[in-house]
Amino acid sequence: MELKLSTNIVSQVDVARMVRELKSLEDFFIATKVRPAGSSLQLPKLTRLLEQVAKENNYNLLEEEHRKALSQQLDMVLGNAPLLHISFAAEPSPGALEKILVWFRTNIHPQALLQVGLQPSIAAGCVVRTPNKVFDMSLREHLNDQQKFLAQLIDVADKKYK
Amino acid sequence: MNVGGLVLVIGCILSATAAFIWLAMRLGPGSDNSKAKQLTDDLQKTADTDVEHIFNNEFREELRNRGRLHFEKIIGENAMFLQQDLRQTTSQLNDYMRAEITRTLQEEFKKYEQSIVDAKQLALDSIEKTITTIEQQRALLEQQLLTQSESQKAHIVQSFEKEMTGIVNHYVLRAIGNQIDLSDQLEYILAELESNKTAILEDIKRGA
Repeated sequence: MELKLSTNIVSQVDVARMVRELKSLEDFFIATKVRPAGSSLQLPKLTRLLEQVAKENNYNLLEEEHRKALSQQLDMVLGNAPLLHISFAAEPSPGALEKILVWFRTNIHPQALLQVGLQPSIAAGCVVRTPNKVFDMSLREHLNDQQKFLAQLIDVADKKYK
Repeated sequence: MNVGGLVLVIGCILSATAAFIWLAMRLGPGSDNSKAKQLTDDLQKTADTDVEHIFNNEFREELRNRGRLHFEKIIGENAMFLQQDLRQTTSQLNDYMRAEITRTLQEEFKKYEQSIVDAKQLALDSIEKTITTIEQQRALLEQQLLTQSESQKAHIVQSFEKEMTGIVNHYVLRAIGNQIDLSDQLEYILAELESNKTAILEDIKRGA
């Protein structure tokens, strides 16, 4: 069964952070087993992201088996999930980025991860880079495609005013 | 007594003297040579005395005065004639000089006029040649300019069409910049993603 990724998990960095949190949680439980009686323990702080993923995938983080399974799933995501680079002209809002991420996970791959970048020169739209291709869906590219049409318009206007 | 009579008297006296001298010489020297010689001397003395008697100082003065008057008269007449001749000659000379100068001037003027006409014609020919050359050069230059102008125009139009779209794109991109919010672009982005969905899927599968 594939791991369901929350829309809050966008990039490999988020997945790697959850992996690190799981390891620190594992270390904590190992430390509790070997600790002397009566010594104080400090619980590791978990991010809401990890809790949400565990909940959505019915993992109990208090159980070792579940933690291991989740860790394995996350490793698989890191190793196998498709990574797409997407660039915008400006920093995208969380809501907009979430909608785009949902589209990718719905239409492309359920575990698709995005690496967001900035390219102010594209003005509007986005540029998506897959492992082998670049899909330029920016306004810049759209304007470049319309160059001939613009030249025709100017030519017609020029003939009209002559 | 007029001068003619006086001259006649002097001529007679001189003729008589010459006759006596000739006669004495004719008789020649001989036994009476000394006698003849004496006679001759006497005659000579007598002639001299008569001459002195006839041609005394008054007579000579009279003759001198008459000669002076006559000479003055002749001189005056001759001076008048000379003056008339001189005037006439001067007048003729003036006419001649005037005519000569006029003729020479006319000839020179004609030559000068001809020279001017020739120079004018030469200048006109030269100007015509220059005009012809200039016209040819102008036509050639005009043709060259026209060709260059057309070429430049075509080049500018081509360059304009080539660069214009880039300029417009650059202007639009600079103008709108970051002014369009991503939320407003979301529909466009999703539509574009939808249109590229198949290609993205294929590339993801191939990459995996």
